[in-house]
Amino acid sequence: MTIKRAQSFVTQNAIYIVLILLIMGIIIYEPSFMSINTLRDVLIQSSTRVIIALGVAFILITAGTDLSAGRVVGFTAVISASMLQIPDYSRRFFPDLPQVQVWLPILIAIVAGLLCGLVNGIIVSKLNVPPFIATLGTMLIVYGLNSLYFDMDPNQSQPIGGLRPDFTNIGSGFIGSGQYSIPYIVLIALGVAAIVWVLFNKTKLGKNMYAIGGNMQAAKVSGINVSKNLIYIYAIAGALYGLAGVLEAARTGGATNNYGNMYELDAIAACVVGGVSTTGGIGTVPGVLVGVIIFTLINYGLTFIGISPYYQLIIKGLIIIAAVSFDMRKYSSKK
Amino acid sequence: MKKITSVLLASALLGAALAGCGGNNNKAADPANTGTAPNTANSGSAETPKVGVAIYKFDDTFMTGVRNAIDAAAKGIATVDIVDSQNSQPTQNDKVDLFITKKYNGMLINPVDRTAAGVIIDKAKTANIPVVFLNREPLPEDMKKWDKVYYVGAKAEESGTMSGQLIVDYWKAHPEADKNGDGVLQYVMLKGEPGHQDAELRTTYSIQAIEDAGIKVEKLAEDTAMWDRVKGQEKMAAFLGSHGDKIEAVLANNDDMALGAIEALKAQGYFSGDKYMPVVGVDATAPAVQALQDGTMLGTVLNDANNQGKAAITLAALLAKGETPTKENVGFDITDNQFVWISYKKITKDNVADAK
Repeated sequence: MTIKRAQSFVTQNAIYIVLILLIMGIIIYEPSFMSINTLRDVLIQSSTRVIIALGVAFILITAGTDLSAGRVVGFTAVISASMLQIPDYSRRFFPDLPQVQVWLPILIAIVAGLLCGLVNGIIVSKLNVPPFIATLGTMLIVYGLNSLYFDMDPNQSQPIGGLRPDFTNIGSGFIGSGQYSIPYIVLIALGVAAIVWVLFNKTKLGKNMYAIGGNMQAAKVSGINVSKNLIYIYAIAGALYGLAGVLEAARTGGATNNYGNMYELDAIAACVVGGVSTTGGIGTVPGVLVGVIIFTLINYGLTFIGISPYYQLIIKGLIIIAAVSFDMRKYSSKK
Repeated sequence: MKKITSVLLASALLGAALAGCGGNNNKAADPANTGTAPNTANSGSAETPKVGVAIYKFDDTFMTGVRNAIDAAAKGIATVDIVDSQNSQPTQNDKVDLFITKKYNGMLINPVDRTAAGVIIDKAKTANIPVVFLNREPLPEDMKKWDKVYYVGAKAEESGTMSGQLIVDYWKAHPEADKNGDGVLQYVMLKGEPGHQDAELRTTYSIQAIEDAGIKVEKLAEDTAMWDRVKGQEKMAAFLGSHGDKIEAVLANNDDMALGAIEALKAQGYFSGDKYMPVVGVDATAPAVQALQDGTMLGTVLNDANNQGKAAITLAALLAKGETPTKENVGFDITDNQFVWISYKKITKDNVADAK
């Protein structure tokens, strides 16, 4: 009986066990890993990823997928950076643009992300194109649009730099001082996670989302307006990518049209490691947070202890497969 | 009703897409047009030779600089048709076929894949159209196939050597750079894409240049940041986490990664007060030039897009007219009758104007 209970404990919490083992392994190898600075770095590097992964989670839970996420991040990073350069920078994207309020370009970028998501939602729900194909198409279109924008005179595909301090401060500033300060970007990610948690658990949209992902036909029959809900969900996800793109530009102090490349795959991987089912209907906000942190820890920790990048790839691949296979066990044992 | 809406939607979408494409096409053709129209007007005769130019990828930062230089330098000496190979060798071969069909007098090719130059040389030789390769060097045996094949480019290892020399200059001028006073330079390396020729050469030759100057080095960490600013920042944060103040210099294979590293260093309090870290990159992009002026980046290496473009189109125009290129009419040294090597330039705060 106790053995069985232990077994079920392991399958139920496999992901947390993996996380703890991973941290322990790195600490044993390199004890100096255990520090406030490490925690800070991991949280900072997780912030934009969490926002993207939460957007992707919305869509995965409806049994969809979103390949355009990374390119939307890149597009909105470029849009926000292009309008937020210091006045005396030698290569300004818009040479004559006045110093606008910092929130305006941010808002424009988030709205651009939202529109990309809206288009995805319309294509999926009104044209009945499978999400994989629909977002594959928009992934290419968004990258094309971004590259055109980025190649405009006088920028001509040069990296955008010289961003305004009031903008980059959003990405690199913090509250408090010294070791125990909290970066703004982490607070933003936590705020977004809280809002998404409410959307998932306390709203009609959230209930409909789980219902659509669990069984779309049943959802339709029980009177849910599936296409309207899907359009909302894709649009919200797009707005989240938009915000993430803005934060990437602010955090790194620059942008190119290649920003965000392949982020969608990182986000999908983090989601599935965090227990979001790719067949729909299942997924929680805390799960996504843990999934993202596991991936950031792998990236950060393995670089920290100096493991070759080739081994890092292999380890990441194994963790994705292991985490999902544990998950499948968990749900099959439930059934 | 539903069907009608979806049909309408689909056609609206397609319509929008087509309209968009129309706009794009005009734009894409723009560089070629701006090249063509004024040039023919300038010469006012059929004398200027027609040169087909194929660039490996239009959205590459450096090659965009070269492309603009070609366009500018072509005025009055050649009519250029510049096309995008979209980072695909088959596409580029199709463009070359088109140049040959159009009976252009010369070709200027920036190969997608350097090993594919052999096929292009065969085609050019059959059609008797001289060809100049740019930026990616064909294999030596391919270069020997025909004497009307030239190459214009930079020696990749030189960019590594120069970035190492920037660190050497700093180290020798600033004894305090040896933070722990052990006489050994502890460094971290941010590499480009693993296996990429530039990444490997820059990594090797930058360190060799430091050793050649008589400085002992110790590598604390090396990892790939895939030429990427975001990854450069993240890897540097991890390096700082594990090695902290032991790091005495940061070498990056390109400016984007160096700029990422600088952001990570700033987060740890560097570049304010007397906390400093020498960081070097390669490329001299506009954001890097800004960082040089701000005093956060120590130096970078300029791959001279202007002179590469100028030398390449001048050479191609001469060949297209059937003239023999010499040092005098090209304006650059010609090595082994087939090669024009354009030097890199070291850029620091002092000569930052050269990179603008």
